[in-house]
Amino acid sequence: MRADNASAQAAFAKASDYLERQPLVANHRPLSWITDHVCRIVEQPAPIWWWVSTIVFGAVAALTPAMLTYLVATGVGVWGLNVPVCWAWDITNFVFWIGIGHAGTLISAILFLTRQKWRTSINRSAEAMTIFAVICAGIFPAFHVGRIWFAWFLFPIPNANAIWQNFRSPLLWDVFAVSTYFTVSLIFWYLGLIPDLASLRDRATTRFRQMAYGILSLGWRGSNRQWTHYEKTYLILAGISTPLVLSVHSVVSFDFATSVVPGWHTTIFPPYFVAGAIFGGFAMVLTLLIPFRELYGLHDLVTDKHIDNMCKIILLTGSLVGYAYSMEFFIAWYSGNPFEIYAFTNRAFGPYWWAYWAMITCNVAAPQLFWFKYCRQNPWVVLAIVMFPNTGMWFERFVIIVTSIHRDFLPSSWGYFSPTWVDITLFIGTIGLFVFLFLLFVRFLPIINMFEVKGITPQADPHAHNPGSNHAAPTQPPHSLDESRVHA
Amino acid sequence: MKRVIQHPTSSATGRTYWRSLGEYSRTPDFEEWLHREFPAGAAEWDKDPLSRRSFIRLMGASLALAGLGLSGCRRPEAHLVPFTQSPEWVISGKNLSFATAQPRRRGAIPLLATTFNGRPTKMEGNPLHPDSLGASDNHAQASVLDLYDPARRQFLTRAGKKAEIAELDAEVARIRTEAGANAGATLAILADETLSPTRERLRAELLRQFPQATWAVYEPLAPGRDLEASAAAFGSGTEVRPDLSAAKTILSVDCDFLGSDEGDLSDTRGFTAGRRIRKPGDKSNRLYVAEPRFSLTGTMSDHRLRLRASATGVFLLELARQIRALRPNSELSSVLAKTPDLPLPSGIDPAWIRECAADLVANGNRSLVLVGRRHSVAIQALGYAINAALGNVGTTLLVQPRLSAPSTSLQSLTEKIRSSSIRTLVILGGDPVYSAPNDLGWADLLGTIPNSIHLSPIFNATSAKTTWFVPGTHFLESWGDALAGDGSYLSIQPTIQPLWGGESQLEFLVRLLGQSKPVGPALVRETFTARTKLGADKQEQAWNDFVREGFLPGATPSPSKTFNSGAVAALLSNISSPNVAETNSLEAVFIHSGAVDDGRYANNGWLQEWPDPMTKLTWDNAILISSKTASSLGLKNEIIKGILVADVVKATIGTRSVETPVVIAPGHVDFAVSLPVGYGQDLLGPVAKGAGFDAYRLRTTDSEYVAQGLRLERTGHTKQLAVTQEHQAMEGRDLVREAALTEFNEDPGWAKKVGMDGHIPPNQTFYPSPKLTGEHQWAMVIDLSTCTGCNACVTACTAENNIPVVGKDQVMKGREMHWIRVDRYYTGEPEEPEAVSQPVACMQCENAPCETVCPVNATVHNEEGLNVMAYNRCIGTRYCANNCPYKVRRFNFFDYNQRPIDKLYWGPLAPKGTEETIKLQKNPNVTVRMRGVMEKCTFCVQRIEEAKINARVKARDSDNIKIPAGSLQTACQQACPADAIVFGDLKDAKSEVSQLRALPQNYSLLEYLNVRPRLTYLGRIRNPNPAMPGARTSYIPSHGHGESHGHENATENHSSEEAHK
Repeated sequence: MRADNASAQAAFAKASDYLERQPLVANHRPLSWITDHVCRIVEQPAPIWWWVSTIVFGAVAALTPAMLTYLVATGVGVWGLNVPVCWAWDITNFVFWIGIGHAGTLISAILFLTRQKWRTSINRSAEAMTIFAVICAGIFPAFHVGRIWFAWFLFPIPNANAIWQNFRSPLLWDVFAVSTYFTVSLIFWYLGLIPDLASLRDRATTRFRQMAYGILSLGWRGSNRQWTHYEKTYLILAGISTPLVLSVHSVVSFDFATSVVPGWHTTIFPPYFVAGAIFGGFAMVLTLLIPFRELYGLHDLVTDKHIDNMCKIILLTGSLVGYAYSMEFFIAWYSGNPFEIYAFTNRAFGPYWWAYWAMITCNVAAPQLFWFKYCRQNPWVVLAIVMFPNTGMWFERFVIIVTSIHRDFLPSSWGYFSPTWVDITLFIGTIGLFVFLFLLFVRFLPIINMFEVKGITPQADPHAHNPGSNHAAPTQPPHSLDESRVHA
Repeated sequence: MKRVIQHPTSSATGRTYWRSLGEYSRTPDFEEWLHREFPAGAAEWDKDPLSRRSFIRLMGASLALAGLGLSGCRRPEAHLVPFTQSPEWVISGKNLSFATAQPRRRGAIPLLATTFNGRPTKMEGNPLHPDSLGASDNHAQASVLDLYDPARRQFLTRAGKKAEIAELDAEVARIRTEAGANAGATLAILADETLSPTRERLRAELLRQFPQATWAVYEPLAPGRDLEASAAAFGSGTEVRPDLSAAKTILSVDCDFLGSDEGDLSDTRGFTAGRRIRKPGDKSNRLYVAEPRFSLTGTMSDHRLRLRASATGVFLLELARQIRALRPNSELSSVLAKTPDLPLPSGIDPAWIRECAADLVANGNRSLVLVGRRHSVAIQALGYAINAALGNVGTTLLVQPRLSAPSTSLQSLTEKIRSSSIRTLVILGGDPVYSAPNDLGWADLLGTIPNSIHLSPIFNATSAKTTWFVPGTHFLESWGDALAGDGSYLSIQPTIQPLWGGESQLEFLVRLLGQSKPVGPALVRETFTARTKLGADKQEQAWNDFVREGFLPGATPSPSKTFNSGAVAALLSNISSPNVAETNSLEAVFIHSGAVDDGRYANNGWLQEWPDPMTKLTWDNAILISSKTASSLGLKNEIIKGILVADVVKATIGTRSVETPVVIAPGHVDFAVSLPVGYGQDLLGPVAKGAGFDAYRLRTTDSEYVAQGLRLERTGHTKQLAVTQEHQAMEGRDLVREAALTEFNEDPGWAKKVGMDGHIPPNQTFYPSPKLTGEHQWAMVIDLSTCTGCNACVTACTAENNIPVVGKDQVMKGREMHWIRVDRYYTGEPEEPEAVSQPVACMQCENAPCETVCPVNATVHNEEGLNVMAYNRCIGTRYCANNCPYKVRRFNFFDYNQRPIDKLYWGPLAPKGTEETIKLQKNPNVTVRMRGVMEKCTFCVQRIEEAKINARVKARDSDNIKIPAGSLQTACQQACPADAIVFGDLKDAKSEVSQLRALPQNYSLLEYLNVRPRLTYLGRIRNPNPAMPGARTSYIPSHGHGESHGHENATENHSSEEAHK
């Protein structure tokens, strides 16, 4: 009996090694290590690579205003647009960037509401990415109009000319959806930054930093009362953000779905666009996080487990968009409408076949590699694979927009779109802007949500006592007397 | 050049109006003002060709002239009146129309010039003239832009240097002295054909003064062989004019009578009148066409045979024999007696000719055989013989007095020059250096003449070679007259003072005659007086009526002209058998360009951007070739990124060659090519520069129309061509709906059941429909049975609606701005395609997809059913264009109206502003759009509003503010010579448009979208002869209710893409 008991206990101990969840902060890092490690990025002089890459990407980002100046001064004709292809790279880039902006708020809002604790170490940078992506996205619809100096007509501003908006237009819904999304995301992000900004303020050694972070942290003192307000506000904002995650891209998809154009006029678009946005957004999160994790040695905070989780989401959403692609074809065939059938046949086998198959390869085929654990565990393999969805999602929007309108109802009016150097340079410029802003972010703001990460460490959990493990016993209750939160 | 402003020397007869109380009382102040004002202003004129001040004076001048046309009771004043002393009928912003005419080589086009504040902006056909009835063609429409062409040279030159008018005076005096000494033996005049009786009168006077002088007339595309044949067949001084409205069966042998070269407005009108089918049982004429290239006439044919131009004679001989067999005729027998017995070339089915002959014979004297006018005299004569045998002379083939006077030919003139007997050559208009047959060597020839003068509205290749260049006037700037095709006498009156000075041909001839410059219409009036032979009491009124109404009717054609079979038989031995064409020795046909004609309109941006009705090519010409010939030569066309990339060949005839792209033209006869002339005139101005190649370089005297032995060699290069329609097939879509006449009689409502339309479930609109509560509900119906696809509507719309020219580069990018376009699709077998045309303008959908998506309400519906654009509101999201299923919206990608089209990409670095003269053409009632705004067809809303204002003014206090039916036409409708476009009020059940919409064959394009277009189409009804070999008797796709949607009409899919591969 005793022997049996002992062997059973040994088996249980062995099994629990496997069954136990991996901790979200590896290597039993103490709370002070987290603070030190994250704040050090901001506090220590910037490494050479940061200077080099910031200057390079800053220069690339400067192409954006340069191209926009040329565009506004000369006319939309500097792009390759024509009739019938009145939207091409402009709206493709808009939807692409907006899509990337989805992962951030999804991670911070939906995963927050569903108590997914692994979100904490990645949500800050994902949200920052969202903000920057939406900035890049906003450039395109604003500047794609023929007369940007009248773009204020899009806002319901009372004026002497009695100009009022057409609320039937999905483009107007877009204006509201995107601006709301941007505002809420920015507030949400900033709110979440306040406690960490206070930590930076408290650690600041120079007057300037003290002032700057002091102003930014809005007088945060970490009092119980402030924490209570903070938690409530954060929860409410998460509640507001959650439908926005779904609504923004649904509304963006209405730009196409409510039209009469075969290939656009599709009811599947809202869920398909949301899935695609999450798919592309997570790919971009990984694209940014994996290098920065390496450069700043954040492996203990952004663990392989995080990457693994995100890969699984990519696999899921990638399969969802794959389903959507095939369903579009099925419905086109099932409708019996020759215009619809042609639109989809033309996508796959028309003049833009290469874009379509690039999209299928990148979005449907490549993520299937994430079925293999090896592919999810090796960050460099992951980085290589996520480049496919990054590319593929751009192609997806290109395929939807350009291949649908370049050959619609009347063959007499069929056309073809080729980008000009301005199209290409502007897009590269926004990529530069995006990375440039992110580089500034990692330099001046804590890229890991320190206080929330601390909250999910084993030592922050009063109940996390596992006699079978070597984990340090919790030292303090997480909320009441958490010194680390106050002083870090 | 100093301008001499003339004042009337004395008061003319009739009532005199005084312009102010000052004039009435003849105060010294007024006298001083009258005499000082203009000479003082003349100094300013020299510095700045068109300052604001001088423009005001121009306007004043033309208004003074306007009085003649309008009131008819003012004395003819030819001096300037400042606009501050406005004539009382002038209301700023209101247009005035003046009757005038555009001279053409084969009969002038009677026109009305619409002017605003003294500047002509738009041409319309003269509604009173039976040829026009308000219709016009693309060249007439575009002629107003020629007037304002900034490339017109504004000064006299002598040996390339600016000269003074006094020098010209001295030169003319010298010429007169020289000619006076030798009775004009060393003087020659070479003129273009204007059919002006006044010019004929002056010519006679000149020849009276200098009896030995040579008067030659040269038209590159009107050699007058039909006139020679007519002289033989019907006696000298006759010419032949078809009356297509009387013809039931028509055979056109290489005669594009629906195009602008061979035919005129009355031909189109007559032909389409015979095809207007409204209800089952209506009769339709039937058209057989045998031709080398697919012409507009070919697209309207019921049966088309691809026939090499050199086989025309053999074809007609066979036809004549068949007709003789069917209806023995002694005259025809005698004509055919001595004709060579030539075999039909292989590939021509004798059954085709037999059945065609049977159909012609069956219709007795209501048939018509038309032969291309540029074929040989023998072929023309044979055509007349066939018509005579069919009994058509006097019914469908009218013999009328010859319009043009016989003149020395260019060849004889060349001989005289070569023999050094000509010392002075005066060239009136035209461009012989550019267009004369090459073997005549005109470019060098002019250098051998000591003194040469070229009078031309534009500086061209001839002007560059002559000693003198004298700026000529546009017909809108000068007094003149001309004959229309039917022989009626047309008046030409100026609508504006010559923009840059210059002289008309008449004025220059007067100068040569040594007379003083005529005052106003004196010259023309003299001719008029001589023609009318009215008493002095009626003279004044008759003249005023003539100027106001624009024409005097011509002599009625004599029906009883006898056919002289003997003279014709003598000619027919010349008919030769066609050359055997091979890939290394092709047959070339020099055709006119639908856009620039013989080259005279090459610097006209509207016409350069006007898509050729068949090839849809703009800004270029190209060798047209069949796909079979192309593939045997290894030549191809590809559509790469929306641009037609054509192989460039070196085309050689004898020792002359040109490098040019080839365009594969479906329906072209094999082993022959067509070469459109008129391009490659870099000298003409910035618009013509770089456009196309000069096909005249391959032309010689004996191969003036058809040349043999053309070799095409691949150069390995390609050229990018701007086409406005890249895809040629309908892809099995039910866009143009056709039925044979028999099918229509069985099922008149077929058009509503074709394609998806038979399967549409009841449609619900998502948004409430606009409230269509207006007094009028505008709608348009286009009859596809009568639309010939001539594209006159495109130019009319361009002129009316201030549509910018965007240039070749922008057209290649798909950014042409035309508000109405004519889609042309090839159907049927790729080797023997048929073609259909479909004009597409904004459909003014009641349930418009563009309106729901505009975020700023810039495109909205009005209560009269118009989809209106508010340019001021448009921010240019372009969403509306994406959502427009008909793709009729056009976007201003650049500031086309503000920046030069070759510097569009320079942005603010490009010079800003439009040429001053181009501004003058703009219609003040239509906004000139800036960059960044969307635009589209408005159903000519400015005309609707004007009609409304007129109705309200007329109504005064009554409620009767409804626009009277028929008082309003859109620009495209007005221009359409086929009357295929009908616009009007749906609320008026009696209006034509309401009745047409109620016809069973009326259908909407893309009905299933439930956009409820206000522009609908009448399905096209063809009238095939079931007895013809290979006749396609069913045009309704066998749709049934199967699953095969999108696959039927599969044969359609070949012609286009394959044609371009």
